[in-house]
Amino acid sequence: MTAEAQQMIEHIVQLIRKPGLTIEENTPLVSSGLIDSMALVDLLLKLEDLTHMRIPPGKVQPKDMDTVAKMFATAVRVGKPRK
Amino acid sequence: MTGNVASFRNLIDALAAAPGDRPFITAWIDEDEHETVTFAEFRSRARGQAKVLREQAVKAGDRVIVIMPQCITAMTTFVGALMLGAVPAFIAYPNFKVESSKYRAGLAGVTANLKAKVVVIDEEFPDDMLGHVTLGEGTKLLRAKDSRGLDGKPELLELEPPAESLAFIQHSAGTTGLQKGVALTHAAVLNQLEHLAHALKIDGATDRIYNWLPLYHDMGLIACFMLPMVCHMPVVMQSPLEWVMHPETMLQIISEYKCSLAWMPNFAFQFVPRRTPRNRWAQYDLSSVRALINCSEPVRSSSMLEFQKAFSTIGFKGGALQSSYAMAENVFAVTQSDINQLAGPTRIWAEGQRFRSAHLIVPVAEGTPGALSFTSSGRLLPGNEVRIASESGELLLPGHVGEILVRSDSLFTGYYNRPDLTAEAIVDGWYHTGDLGFCLEGELYVVGRKKDLLIVGGENLYPQDIEEIVTSHSAIHDGRAVAMGVYNPDLGTEDIVVVAEVESEELLVNTVEIEREIRNLVVVGIGVAVRMIFLKPPKWIVKSTAGKAARSSTREKLLKEHPELNIES
Repeated sequence: MTAEAQQMIEHIVQLIRKPGLTIEENTPLVSSGLIDSMALVDLLLKLEDLTHMRIPPGKVQPKDMDTVAKMFATAVRVGKPRK
Repeated sequence: MTGNVASFRNLIDALAAAPGDRPFITAWIDEDEHETVTFAEFRSRARGQAKVLREQAVKAGDRVIVIMPQCITAMTTFVGALMLGAVPAFIAYPNFKVESSKYRAGLAGVTANLKAKVVVIDEEFPDDMLGHVTLGEGTKLLRAKDSRGLDGKPELLELEPPAESLAFIQHSAGTTGLQKGVALTHAAVLNQLEHLAHALKIDGATDRIYNWLPLYHDMGLIACFMLPMVCHMPVVMQSPLEWVMHPETMLQIISEYKCSLAWMPNFAFQFVPRRTPRNRWAQYDLSSVRALINCSEPVRSSSMLEFQKAFSTIGFKGGALQSSYAMAENVFAVTQSDINQLAGPTRIWAEGQRFRSAHLIVPVAEGTPGALSFTSSGRLLPGNEVRIASESGELLLPGHVGEILVRSDSLFTGYYNRPDLTAEAIVDGWYHTGDLGFCLEGELYVVGRKKDLLIVGGENLYPQDIEEIVTSHSAIHDGRAVAMGVYNPDLGTEDIVVVAEVESEELLVNTVEIEREIRNLVVVGIGVAVRMIFLKPPKWIVKSTAGKAARSSTREKLLKEHPELNIES
């Protein structure tokens, strides 16, 4: 796991604030109900920070954000280098 | 410009009269990517789209559904349909914020009800959603072409839609599955725009709108597309998604284009200052804004004051904060606050106890212990009338809280294809809004929301949708769940709280697991997270005489048992 993926996991754990919750790179987040649409915006912003990319939100579907691994793959697929 | 709107025969006539060289729509993607079209270019592209639609045999009265991201092509397609006398409707485009199953169900319901001749989508419309566009017999699916490449010059004969003919259908708020198509005539839309332009003292030559609101919503469609089209005023528009991701771009665009008018729901007044790093505020200049209008019900002063306090240092004038009471069924606004009132919308304080127990407004001084504050939505626009009625239908005097009924010259003709719902909503010419409010000294104050609607992050949700999902859980007694919105002052929006009865008391030993499963069901079903779930023993929920869960009494009971939830704005 990359350091960025680890940071994203820490961010999600902090966001959900659920005692005893373990999140891994392939833990489903959206389809399991752990996070909702308002949180997805926050996660997309965090993803922009961690990857130094600008991610056009119009090109992202919920399934693209379902796991930490998928989030980073999405950034590679649709991200634009940030100025 | 103000005062001329009434002279137009229809919306196309109004567009035709616009000065060709004036900028109309600027579509702002990011710092590097934006495009501006003049009124002449917009007309030409719309004619091009009209030709494409005509080639698909679209004619007067046919419905045309437009499902595209927020862009100029979507707008020229909409107006192209108007030029043929057809009846267009914007439907929300799928995005990552909307849960797929909810979107698919809504899309199928809306497209089936409209029985459209053509459904226009873009090249990138997700394939997994396509199967949910209901294509009845005679309905065609059309991939929109970028309107830049379309030839709009030659011989397209623009029809002259009669003022009393249907112009378009806008969808009322709510979860897509329950959306109702609000049918509006050219005359109703023009009447509304005439009144609004007058109240806001609009000058198309000097004003400029900033917009991030979706075009399928009345604030986006009427205030930020039809109003500028008819008043010949420029608009700078960005996608709602881009705004949600980067609300700071609002400050950037207003500063760069010197926008003077904008509309926003309540939560946005807190969202923008909180999501923009403080050390960057000084880069921007909001001195061009003369009206920033809060169209929520109810309007909350605390949210508006937060915006004012944050940005007064970069030129934002307190008097620019305005309010309005608006709904798709009236085309848009019923009331508008006085834009000459430098202190912004009127704010009053009233005894909390009398308000709760007797639905009566007894004004008191600011700071009185137990007082509640209410912010006015302004005075009636010309051509609009309001009545306040009790539950039994009796008309109430000023200062008494009851249901708001509206009658106007811009009222909708009905819900498209739904005479049953229309007959319930319009009685003797009065539209029963389902909103609660009161009148005081000629101003309207809205205190409650449409039929228990929950407003979460600017999205309206019907509690019935959530309750249906909750009661689908095997541990919950059928029909014994109540979903409610509890205002969260930190977020400026509501949190969803659910109370539900379990089938038997023994199940209460396992609440953690049941709560987790219910949360999952709700997120999968409608894409929002429930903040708190209270599981209660059988017979806890208050029932109405008809045996249904009584939402307001149950809410009161829950708030009494859990006073930590009882936060007033």
